[in-house]
Amino acid sequence: MLSAQDMQEAAAHGRTVKAIYVYEAPVRLWHWVNAVAITVLAISGYFIGSPLPSMPGEASEHFIMGYIRFAHFAAGYILLVGFLGRIYWAFVGNHHARQLFKLPLSNRKWWSEVLFELRWYLFLEPDPKKYVGHNPLAQLSMFFMVTLTMVFMICTGFALYGEGAQAGSWSHVLFSSWVIPLFGQSQDVHTWHHLGMWVMVLFVMMHVYAAVREDIMSRQSMVSTMLSGWRLFKDDRP
Amino acid sequence: MTETFYEVMRRQGITRRSFIKFCSLTAASLGLAPSFVPRIAHAMESKPRTPVIWLHGLECTCCSESFIRSAHPLAKDVVLSMLSLDYDDTLMAAAGHQAEAIIAEIKQKYKGNYILAVEGNPPLNEDGMFCIHGGRPFVEVLKETAADAKAVIAWGACASWGCVQAAKPNPTRATPIDKVISGKPIIKVPGCPPIAEVMTGVVTYMLTFDKIPELDRQGRPKMFYGQRIHDKCYRRPHFDAGQFVEAWDDEAARKGYCLYKMGCKGPTTYNACSTTRWNGGVSFPIQSGHGCIGCSEDGFWDKGSFYDRVTGINSFGVEANADQVGAAAAGVVGAAVVAHAAVSAIKRGRMDQTNGNK
Amino acid sequence: MAYETQGFKLDNSGKRVVVDPVCRIEGHLRVEVNLDSSNTIRNAVSTGTMWRGLEVILKGRDPRDAWAFTERICGVCTGTHALTSVRAVEDALDIKIPENANTIRNLMQLNLYVHDHLVHFYHLHALDWVDVVSALKADPKKTSELAQSISNWPLSSPGYFRDLQNRLKKFVESGQLGPFMNGYWGNPAYKLPPEANLMAVAHYLEALDFQKEIVKVHTIFGGKNPHPNWLVGGVPCAINLDGTGAVGAINMERLNLVKSIIDRTMEFVEQVYIPDLLAIASFYKGWLYGGGLSSKNVLSYGDIPDKANDYSAANLLLPRGAIINGDLGKVHAVDLKDPEQIQEFVTHSWYKYADESKGLHPFDGVTEPNFVLGPKTKGSKTNIQELDESGKYSWIKAPRWRGHAMEVGCLSRMLLGYVQPKQYPFIRDTIDAVLKKLDVPVTALFSTLGRTAARGIETLYCAKLQLEQFDKLMANLKAGDLNTANVDKWEPSTWPKTAQGAGFTEAPRGALGHWVRIKDTKIDNYQCVVPTTWNGSPRDHKGQIGAFEASLMNTPLAKADQPLEILRTLHSFDPCLACSTH
Ligand code: HEM
Ligand code: HEM
Ligand code: NFV
Ligand code: SF4
Ligand code: SF4
Ligand code: F3S
Ligand SMILES: [Mg+2]
Repeated sequence: MLSAQDMQEAAAHGRTVKAIYVYEAPVRLWHWVNAVAITVLAISGYFIGSPLPSMPGEASEHFIMGYIRFAHFAAGYILLVGFLGRIYWAFVGNHHARQLFKLPLSNRKWWSEVLFELRWYLFLEPDPKKYVGHNPLAQLSMFFMVTLTMVFMICTGFALYGEGAQAGSWSHVLFSSWVIPLFGQSQDVHTWHHLGMWVMVLFVMMHVYAAVREDIMSRQSMVSTMLSGWRLFKDDRP
Repeated sequence: MTETFYEVMRRQGITRRSFIKFCSLTAASLGLAPSFVPRIAHAMESKPRTPVIWLHGLECTCCSESFIRSAHPLAKDVVLSMLSLDYDDTLMAAAGHQAEAIIAEIKQKYKGNYILAVEGNPPLNEDGMFCIHGGRPFVEVLKETAADAKAVIAWGACASWGCVQAAKPNPTRATPIDKVISGKPIIKVPGCPPIAEVMTGVVTYMLTFDKIPELDRQGRPKMFYGQRIHDKCYRRPHFDAGQFVEAWDDEAARKGYCLYKMGCKGPTTYNACSTTRWNGGVSFPIQSGHGCIGCSEDGFWDKGSFYDRVTGINSFGVEANADQVGAAAAGVVGAAVVAHAAVSAIKRGRMDQTNGNK
Repeated sequence: MAYETQGFKLDNSGKRVVVDPVCRIEGHLRVEVNLDSSNTIRNAVSTGTMWRGLEVILKGRDPRDAWAFTERICGVCTGTHALTSVRAVEDALDIKIPENANTIRNLMQLNLYVHDHLVHFYHLHALDWVDVVSALKADPKKTSELAQSISNWPLSSPGYFRDLQNRLKKFVESGQLGPFMNGYWGNPAYKLPPEANLMAVAHYLEALDFQKEIVKVHTIFGGKNPHPNWLVGGVPCAINLDGTGAVGAINMERLNLVKSIIDRTMEFVEQVYIPDLLAIASFYKGWLYGGGLSSKNVLSYGDIPDKANDYSAANLLLPRGAIINGDLGKVHAVDLKDPEQIQEFVTHSWYKYADESKGLHPFDGVTEPNFVLGPKTKGSKTNIQELDESGKYSWIKAPRWRGHAMEVGCLSRMLLGYVQPKQYPFIRDTIDAVLKKLDVPVTALFSTLGRTAARGIETLYCAKLQLEQFDKLMANLKAGDLNTANVDKWEPSTWPKTAQGAGFTEAPRGALGHWVRIKDTKIDNYQCVVPTTWNGSPRDHKGQIGAFEASLMNTPLAKADQPLEILRTLHSFDPCLACSTH
């Protein structure tokens, strides 16, 4: 729902409440870089777990596993750096930038809106509500399936990376040294890291569907918002 | 047979000069002033051999079997010249009361100065009577013997992690020794069994430098367990190139390609096999065509089939690997999305109609 | 209480002597005996004092993994359980293995016998016959003469023995006797002259150095020893003789290494083990106790199939069959799948059956622990002074063949070979030669010493078979067959919904069987009946005693407080308790 602050912000940009600037450039940039990184990670990760059919000829003529793993690690680094940047932006950006990290768990109204959104998706509500930032259900699922899962993937991913980087490397010191014993052994970390990929895949499936659907069915813009930053409202009702 | 340390070193072709150099290195590594060198040399030349009590719990004795295969140093030299293996059920001449008396004697005579080596582990169910020693639960004998030891060596996966008898459902509640012994340094030397030269390497390190080797967080000597099989596997170029054995005895197997797809656990296993190799360096599992089964890792029995690359998850009561779980979930979600989209489209169509009619 | 069974009169009225732990064996064993006034054993109770539950742990697992689990039943007879397991699974799924795989498995199995027997003789058994301390009194020159008179082994000069004796002296003087501490040195049951003792001590050490060479055959084909790797459908090592990448497989260099090891092994067996065995035995010919069941009931499943996939008795290079009631004239056929033949009882074992008056065939076997002590046990549950053999008293089950307690192992195999000279002429001839050399009758075989001699004879036979199987492998390679694995039924999707199979080997200690039931690609039931389960068996529902117990009967002890003779006889079986209970 539109807050007084939203109104002020819109006014400051010389717009009416029909359009509000929600996602600042760094958030948008992060979103798309992140989407690419995760796509690369999921594909390369899958092929790390189940490699392609064997290559013929001399070993020295090929480096396919090497490249796949390189792609994975490079994307992994981008994911980490992006995520750190995104955390920074949560501090300095607008209040929508904090939505990924802070759930208003003690706010009853927020919970009732989560329920409302559920009812909306179950076709039990005829009319959707307006939201400037994420709708509460989206926020909830993003917190668990993106924020927490990403932390999990970064910790387990860099723990595995640290094994190859060897004891003494920063990733080994910061991650492998405690993550591996925590899970029991490296094979367990692989298994859970692999499962984490599927959590991500599930999120992306639902997320992309919801984004497109809401674009069509809700009372505000969606996909273009993540491109331009501006949320456009399709009607003037509250 | 009874040789001092110095004599053993001499017999192995080490000169007096390098012996003294060795003593000064020892002094330096212990942080002692050079004036200690003659004292160390004297101790090495005359000190009594460190007594070792080697106990057996639930195990298969293959750690002992591995130990006697040591090529450098020879097991014979370790057992008879470097230390004093005063108690070991598998090798000792005595039995029954005469054997039990030895533990009592060593405990008293060398209080705080003997090493306890443990092969196997104590079961805790049935009041410990799944492993009986002298009519009593093995776990009690273990605790008593550990109480006066200087340090404890946990041989193999059994003593270190629990190993096969602790695999699910662990009917005897077989328990790694660090869960029942407290207040003593415990050096874990995992493997099922550990490599002979790693075993004697750890022991001789402790005797030579009179200290415990540097251990990692899980209590393993870093010198032998700091890297994975995969880090130093000679088939690694084939892994990087994406050249894999796809089926047993296929062309790739005959060329020695990487065994990753056959379930090799080299990428997740910390051990010295790919460098030290086995039985005096003759081979190691991968070199002989079978993947590593991860035998030095905690709980390696319960990580799914040895031939699976992406291993199972049992936590949910169903056995499936991560891809099966994920693909199933993705299928459900995908179907739900399609159905949801269809319903949404129909609904929207109706709404447009109503709106149009207005 | 006194009663008679299998020709033995059991009487537990005399003084009870307890030996726990029994050392120089694998695993945890306890024996209790009752001595009469002349220190002769009149009742014997043997107890397996460990249990791990492998049969329980195997349920629900992938049958292709079972070899690795069962291999960990024992690291001393390492590999034999794994081989038995892959055979059981192949039997269940009807998988045929390539000829090379069969030969390589044979080589590994033969290699195990030779290694295990050699280590047993020198490191687990010798100290029952050899007085280490007496060796100090030997004359090195005479020792050298003795050694040279029985063998042309090069390490036999007076200087060699003098040097060794000096080291031994210093060792003893140091007061730190290590593994020899509290031994039974000076016990009148030791009969060797000092010179023979010194020679034996020298070979104790040489054998300790040499045994590690023997197992390298396992390392080459299986990647390591103990616990080499195996494969359902064949062997994991591929063969490549002249193609690109041959260095990544079994190639000419590897084969040459195998050849050199098995040649040197033969040399050691012929020039050290066998001469030592004969020399030591010649001083103990008068001590013929410990026969136990060997003159009555012996069993062997046979092993070393010459051609692949043919497990019939005619194709086995180690004999198969059963002899019962001492009738050497009749070799009974043995069938692992006949529900009437092999059954396990638990009346006196720490397990639970619905009806404990009946035995179960392993396909229907049940393993459910039940630790309860008999009413006359002395001490408490966690501090047992004396067991009550009228109740449950062992973690070992009681297997029976057509209701009979059987002895299994080298002696059983060699007897079965001896009575079938047409198929096993080498066994017949070698036994006859040994008997002649020692100047003892055939019946001398039914003894502790007979068991120890049979082990030596078998070692020689297996060392020879090893050379023959190697030639066979080379001939097959020469014919162009390089296959080592059959993967047609590797994928569980190719398996029937249910299947069952039995696998067997002759483990060094005797007849070993695994029975597996597979349901929906997972193990539904897995049962092992192991050599030391047979030999270490407690009493059964009828009160029949097992082979260990029988062998101790009526043996006099030179000193009641020193169990030297008890150890000697038990060791002659080479007990393996981790195996027996699994
Ligand atoms: C959304 C994020 C990610 C996804 C979906 C993902 C996916 C995967 C998958 C499926 C595997 C194969 C696991 C197996 O079966 O063994 C894998 C392996 C791995 N991942 Fe990730 N990953 C992610 C993030 C990361 C990050 C941030 C890093 C850090 C560099 C990382 C490093 C690794 C490493 C080192 C491996 C093991 C490679 C090997 O064993 O050769 N991953 N990843
Ligand atoms: C790997 C793929 C993707 C991931 C992990 C991902 C993740 C996210 C996250 C974390 C946010 C919240 C941003 C924030 O608050 O900082 C978000 C928002 C959004 N994403 Fe994605 N995204 C992915 C792909 C896509 C794609 C392909 C689309 C377009 C079709 C899309 C459309 C949107 C939209 C429209 C929003 C704004 C939703 C709103 O306004 O509530 N995303 N996404
Ligand atoms: N009994 C027994 Fe074993 C043997 N030989 C196996 O089957 O020793 Ni550990
Ligand atoms: S760790 Fe493995 S090899 Fe060692 S005793 Fe245990 S089961 Fe045997
Ligand atoms: S064989 Fe195993 S350890 Fe070696 S490179 Fe392949 S996966 Fe790694
Ligand atoms: S199975 Fe064990 S022996 Fe080495 S190669 Fe693997 S750790
Ligand atoms: Mg059994």
